[in-house]
Amino acid sequence: MSLDSQDPRAAGSDEPTVELEFELNGSVEKQAVPTSTTVLDLLRNGFGKRGVRSSCERSVCGACTVLVDDLPVAACSTFAFDIDGTRVETVEGLAAHDGTLSAQQRAFRECGGFQCGFCTSGMLMLTTGLLRANPQPDREEIREWISSNTCRCTGYEMILESVERAAELAREREPDEESS
Amino acid sequence: MTDAATPVAIADQPIVGRNLPRLDATAKVTGRAVYTVDVEKPGMLHAKVLRSPHAHARILSIDASAARSMAGVTAVVTRDEIQGLNCYGTYVKDQPIVASDSVRYVGDVVAAVAAEDERTAFAALDLIRVSYELLPAVFDPQAALDPSAPLIFPEEPFAAFPDYGDGASGTALSGHNVSYEFRYQTGPENAWTECDYIFEDTFTFSRMNHMHLEPFATVAVATSEEIEVWTSTQSPFPMRQELAKIFGLAENRIRVNVPLLGGAFGAKNGPKTEPIAIRLSQLSGGRPVRYSMATEEVFLTLSQHDAVLTVKSGLKADGEFVARQSRVLLNGGAYADASPLVAEKAGYRMPGAYRWKRIDSVCQAVITNTVPAGAFRGFGATQATWASERQVDLIAERLGLDPLELRLKNVKNLGEDFVPGETPIDSDLKHGLNLVADAIGYRNRDRSGNRGMGVAIGLKDGGGVNKPAQARVKVTANGDVVLNCGLTEMGQGGHSALCQIVAEVLACDPQRVKYAPIDTDNTPFDQGTNASSGIAVMGQAVLQAAERVRNSVLDFAAENMDLDRESIRLVNWQIIDSDGKTHPLSPHIMHSFGGTGFEFTADGYFKVRGSLRAPLEAPCVFWEIGWAAAEVSVDPETGKVELLQLVVSGDAGKVVNKLGCRGQDEGAAVFGLAQALFEEMRYNDDGQLLNAEALLYRVPLAEDIPRRFSSITQEQGHGAGPFGAKGMGEGGMLPIAPAIAQAIADATGGQLTSLPMTPERVYNAVRVAQAHQRRG
Repeated sequence: MSLDSQDPRAAGSDEPTVELEFELNGSVEKQAVPTSTTVLDLLRNGFGKRGVRSSCERSVCGACTVLVDDLPVAACSTFAFDIDGTRVETVEGLAAHDGTLSAQQRAFRECGGFQCGFCTSGMLMLTTGLLRANPQPDREEIREWISSNTCRCTGYEMILESVERAAELAREREPDEESS
Repeated sequence: MTDAATPVAIADQPIVGRNLPRLDATAKVTGRAVYTVDVEKPGMLHAKVLRSPHAHARILSIDASAARSMAGVTAVVTRDEIQGLNCYGTYVKDQPIVASDSVRYVGDVVAAVAAEDERTAFAALDLIRVSYELLPAVFDPQAALDPSAPLIFPEEPFAAFPDYGDGASGTALSGHNVSYEFRYQTGPENAWTECDYIFEDTFTFSRMNHMHLEPFATVAVATSEEIEVWTSTQSPFPMRQELAKIFGLAENRIRVNVPLLGGAFGAKNGPKTEPIAIRLSQLSGGRPVRYSMATEEVFLTLSQHDAVLTVKSGLKADGEFVARQSRVLLNGGAYADASPLVAEKAGYRMPGAYRWKRIDSVCQAVITNTVPAGAFRGFGATQATWASERQVDLIAERLGLDPLELRLKNVKNLGEDFVPGETPIDSDLKHGLNLVADAIGYRNRDRSGNRGMGVAIGLKDGGGVNKPAQARVKVTANGDVVLNCGLTEMGQGGHSALCQIVAEVLACDPQRVKYAPIDTDNTPFDQGTNASSGIAVMGQAVLQAAERVRNSVLDFAAENMDLDRESIRLVNWQIIDSDGKTHPLSPHIMHSFGGTGFEFTADGYFKVRGSLRAPLEAPCVFWEIGWAAAEVSVDPETGKVELLQLVVSGDAGKVVNKLGCRGQDEGAAVFGLAQALFEEMRYNDDGQLLNAEALLYRVPLAEDIPRRFSSITQEQGHGAGPFGAKGMGEGGMLPIAPAIAQAIADATGGQLTSLPMTPERVYNAVRVAQAHQRRG
């Protein structure tokens, strides 16, 4: 159970704490947290990353998916101490500092890969993880990855198309970057 | 993103119907979208509730003294703290904030605690001692009607019902454990004598949970004089009205703010977390209280109605439909919630898409000791369509007719009455049936290898009954537009579509139109975001407001810029005269009104006219239709069904936002395929919900979607909304389960009458069919 009110930095109880050092969206963070703190609590409440959504809290729906060392992880079911020494990425880290959207974000925007948007952060992090593992996934592979998360609105077809489009946009961008 | 300060040259290109990204896209793909669960207030407390472990019990005593004295606890609500407050519900007001005399289902709320943090609140709940006297319980709607079944409300709650028109009637608390009964009759009783065949069949319909990803959540700031909430509701104004009744306050002392909703599908209509958060805030000296449910609690709060439906249909030897009688029992669960309205619709929609001379339908919402049932995507029509369409297939088999041809023979024509006094059918139903049938190759299908196809159609009266909506559009001196209306954005894309309508009328970039945050103090009145009413009802109010603003701008231009009123046009906040010359507006506005400039503003309003002849008080705004065709292959040895193809189609009338229309039909279809094949709330014999959590409750995933799945958005152009638009979002769910059921029958001969069509049920149906064949 995620305890939204619990500020992981304030270990008020007699619960032991653990020192963490990890990279969050590119910046190094140090934090002491109670041992029972989840990554979801830490990111939402300790760092204000409200784009990490909390829904089923049973690592079923995937709304809270973040990347830990490039791999998608359910933040609700991962202890904060597990991310010590890792590289953590959330939806807030996808766009450039000037607001330019990433290929994945542009693709979901263009193809309507969301409706209520509550699953979107998780779907985008899955997509990011997938495209790093395989920049040219076929539809079956996309379906397999996306099947770890729940979307109650879209019927999935537009999400699958969004991921295909994201791969396309990411490939389009590469030659530009090389030439510049 | 477009820079809102720079007008984009879109000239006269239409905006409505284009494949534009949604206006909420950037907020949602960057994680910046704010839902109620993200709302935080300084000094905010956290609420947790104690729920009943028993399906039915009298509360003998509650001792909350230890919880009250615990450090960090600011308030505890038990039945003692709700004295003098009223119950809530639609038509039948039977649900208290927390249980008072007895608990009526496993999960009924008994007490609530507010504390400095959630851990303390949980710990305090453990200290509350409740003693119960167990009472006999009943879970099945048929069993609950028996006079020997336990009476779940020994004292009758307050109830009211509408003034129906011709042929319809409603009775609250009409029988033993019946919260509401709806009846509808039309046509001559002796029509039955014309029938060559009469068939009677019974169908059962399963119960789903909405499982919207964002839970029910509220942040409340309340005293005994004033209440403000930030809450995930589809219906801010009915919520204000209900809260005013519960707490005995004037409506202008209550302010309801609605952030984005993380899905709803009907669940977020009536009070959920609001009354508890409010009462706890009142008892905590007006400090903000947040009550956000866990998914497990969402499962115990509201559900769809499971149902038993008996349908008797009479027809002539050539397959012409003549008369239909139906009796529907909806399992309303422990509290009425929206059950009376769902009963009304499930009863009223039993004729389906077909022509009958005589209709006689009864629907009862039955009280049982299960999770309350209420509004759910499809709203009574999913239940009715399952039975209605399934029986058409059973009849076709008995008479040796093709199920599609039998449908085409009896389906209503465009413009034909649904029933007397009602809006005529506003889609070409045959066209849609042929469209989906052809899309999967129904007429040339290959049935080898236990494959088969089915086609079905569902319809519902859309736009809400007698529903009023208001909207306001204002434009600044610089041409920046604010749309102010109460349509909640729960994923359907309503805000984007309405902003596109405004942009179309004002001929500006949709990015220049902002949808204002919703709060009941400032937002014009609306009856609620439901019944697929967004485009057709609110859309009309928005269109009118935008047109009025445009007209007042043109009046201003004609008067102040010396232009001919009849020949000028507004494009990109410039006036274009008859010679094609452009005249920027902003300098003239600043000149006329001085340094502070001006805002042009106008209101719009829409409501269909009431009618004494219309059975449900007013004719419906439009007919929402869903057509579907499915292909399956069935393994007769295991009963496993593989969905090979699914095509769904809706009639948007006129597309406003292409992505939105497609998403609504596909999303609805996936609800339908889940109901058809696996998704279900399962109870044991003691009334314990067995799968009330995400790990055990199976919702569809991407891997469950057939490889060949598509939607066809029709634009037949007969809608009552702006530019001929009709509502979307529910129609696509209606025909899916029956189409899949018929595909299974086509493949194997097995006729399913119960949902979901699990391997066990399919296996048994196939065995029955095989035995029948051997005998026959």
